[in-house]
Amino acid sequence: MSDDAILTIEALKADVAAEELGILKALDLQVCKGEVHAIMGPNGSGKSTLAKVLMGHPGYRPTSGRALFDGSDLLAMEPHDRARAGMFLAFQYPVEVPGVSIANFLRTSMQSRLKEGDDLDLFDFQDLLLDRMKLLEMEPSFAERSVNDGFSGGEKKRNEILQMAVLKPKLVLMDETDSGLDIDALKVVASGVNTLRQEDPDMAIVLITHYQRILDYITPDVVHVMVDGRIVRSGGPEVALWLEEEGYASWREAEEQAAAI
Amino acid sequence: MAEAVADRLRRAEHEFGTGDLNGLDVARLGEGEPEWLARRRLHAWKVYETTPMPTERMEEWRYTDLAQRLSIDQLDVPSIVTLRDDPDTWPQSLKRAMGDDPETSGHLVLLGGSVVYTDIQPSLASQGVVLTSLRKAVEEHPELLKEHLATQAVPPEEGKLQALNAALWTDGIFLYVPRGVRLENPVRVTRWVSRADAAYFTRTLIIAEDTSQVSYVDEVLSEDLDSHALTSTSVEVIARDSAQVQYVAVQQLGRGVFYQSAQRTLADRDSTLDTLNVSLGATTTRVDLNARLLGPGASSNMLGLYFGDGDQHFDHNTSQDHLAPATHSDLLYKGALDGTSRSVFRGIIRVAEKAQQTDAYQTNRNLLLSGDARADSLPKLEIEADDVKCSHGASVGELDEEAIFYLMSRGLSRNQAERLVVLGFLGEVLQRLPLGGVGEKVTRAIEGKLRTGAHA
Repeated sequence: MSDDAILTIEALKADVAAEELGILKALDLQVCKGEVHAIMGPNGSGKSTLAKVLMGHPGYRPTSGRALFDGSDLLAMEPHDRARAGMFLAFQYPVEVPGVSIANFLRTSMQSRLKEGDDLDLFDFQDLLLDRMKLLEMEPSFAERSVNDGFSGGEKKRNEILQMAVLKPKLVLMDETDSGLDIDALKVVASGVNTLRQEDPDMAIVLITHYQRILDYITPDVVHVMVDGRIVRSGGPEVALWLEEEGYASWREAEEQAAAI
Repeated sequence: MAEAVADRLRRAEHEFGTGDLNGLDVARLGEGEPEWLARRRLHAWKVYETTPMPTERMEEWRYTDLAQRLSIDQLDVPSIVTLRDDPDTWPQSLKRAMGDDPETSGHLVLLGGSVVYTDIQPSLASQGVVLTSLRKAVEEHPELLKEHLATQAVPPEEGKLQALNAALWTDGIFLYVPRGVRLENPVRVTRWVSRADAAYFTRTLIIAEDTSQVSYVDEVLSEDLDSHALTSTSVEVIARDSAQVQYVAVQQLGRGVFYQSAQRTLADRDSTLDTLNVSLGATTTRVDLNARLLGPGASSNMLGLYFGDGDQHFDHNTSQDHLAPATHSDLLYKGALDGTSRSVFRGIIRVAEKAQQTDAYQTNRNLLLSGDARADSLPKLEIEADDVKCSHGASVGELDEEAIFYLMSRGLSRNQAERLVVLGFLGEVLQRLPLGGVGEKVTRAIEGKLRTGAHA
């Protein structure tokens, strides 16, 4: 294990909490500080499950293996402790929270990271929020809207990146952030992410996607191909390009042949 | 209490033959009241006596067992107290509630069943605005009271408890806004109840003349009481042509108290008469609200918010009566229930045959925070006109676990996440009626309850 590792996953298996489907099947992954990893795979390969298991979604149950985040046993931590330790999941389907403004939500999130008895400086917070919204080309009034309530798909995704930009995590899991974004919105999101990487070169990203498109704007160091709950191939950006041409079908065939043997 | 007073009333009737309330018995209910009022009380008492006690067999009381929750005959009507205008002697929580208030047009304070303090901005008084105790108003504005007190809006015939209130009220609030006068800041009323084993009967009468404008915020508070008490109030709000009136009641009574409020709003032509009922405290809350849209173009937004924990019980019974064409009403009641608390919402929209081109909406949403909490929602429509837009919706749901996880994934603890979701859910109601300081005050009260409850 590298000293630089921010996330180390070893032989991780997981089920949907109520069933024993074996959605993740002995998955291994190591992400080092400052790296960008892309995980690509067809629908149903377990990509989003991986993101949810890592964030501690109660609907998924890790059954064996382990995951270390910044040296701590991730799977033993509550979701909010994972967040406070520096993990961030940009949701594929951000959840609507009616009546709770983005500003109030982010203020509470920031406050929750402080020591008991410490108070967030509201002026500093306001400055930070305005600055981050500017970075993502958002109107200041956006922060007064209820979280994701009635947002378009693109607004929801941008709101995820805004939260990430305010909370400054050590590791970001981006779960199909590119889906539902038009090319202009994708460029804004990607440029925001790249600015954050420049600000904090140690920030690592695991970018879960179905398509190569976002990788044109956020360059990965490593690309993994995930099929049926396992990472079946890892390599440089050329893997993504290769996938784009060949499609996932060839991996499925390979899997099926392997299973038949 | 009721039996004792009944005895006295019967004796008075027997001794004086005419039914005049006189001598010691009358003094008990209000010294030197004019005859019309004395007769009105006696009439109300007769209605009380001949009206059967509501039971769960009656549709409107199906979910609230009045006999089990309120032992009227064990309560006593405290003597009318005339306290000095000396805020130093007032309870701390009362002063705190008042201190929180921003700018006001006037302020009135009730301790128990009596008004102990009134002030009104001199510039408004000189324009004819009246804010005073009901007892004083009986002396100073007899014609208005004769016409409106317990007559059109909440007469004794409305029900057993309404009749009891009309017979036994000790004091209350009279607010009169003359034609064309517009009050920039709300009128605020703060009430404090301190005695157990007591029944407090008060009334509110608000009259807003043509094209006037007024907001009224009434807050009732107490400590937790070690045995039970009744706070009964009848509220009559009249908006004349093109008047704009906002009526807000915030109930934060302590445990042990039975809070009963019968409210009726009368909205004349092109007036706007909006209401907000916030029910946070008391062991039992029963609010009957009837909005009557009497004149063409009249409009009522009816908002309600309740948040229960422990064994609290809330029963909100509303009706939207459209009696003229082109009238509008929109009701939104939202509640969150924790512990073993329980709520009942019963709402009816009635559109009379002549009330064409009416819009009437009704929504009740409930959020259960515990498996032992319960909410019943009973919306109803009775429409006799054919050219109307009406809808009603009711829901009872649990916390959205996906929303909780989403908030936790940003660092909020489960309890912090639940608090935000609950505040957001209830906050929609407050956002619809932005009124100086009310939203903040209610939000703080809800936060306080969330902190002390299981969701701390």
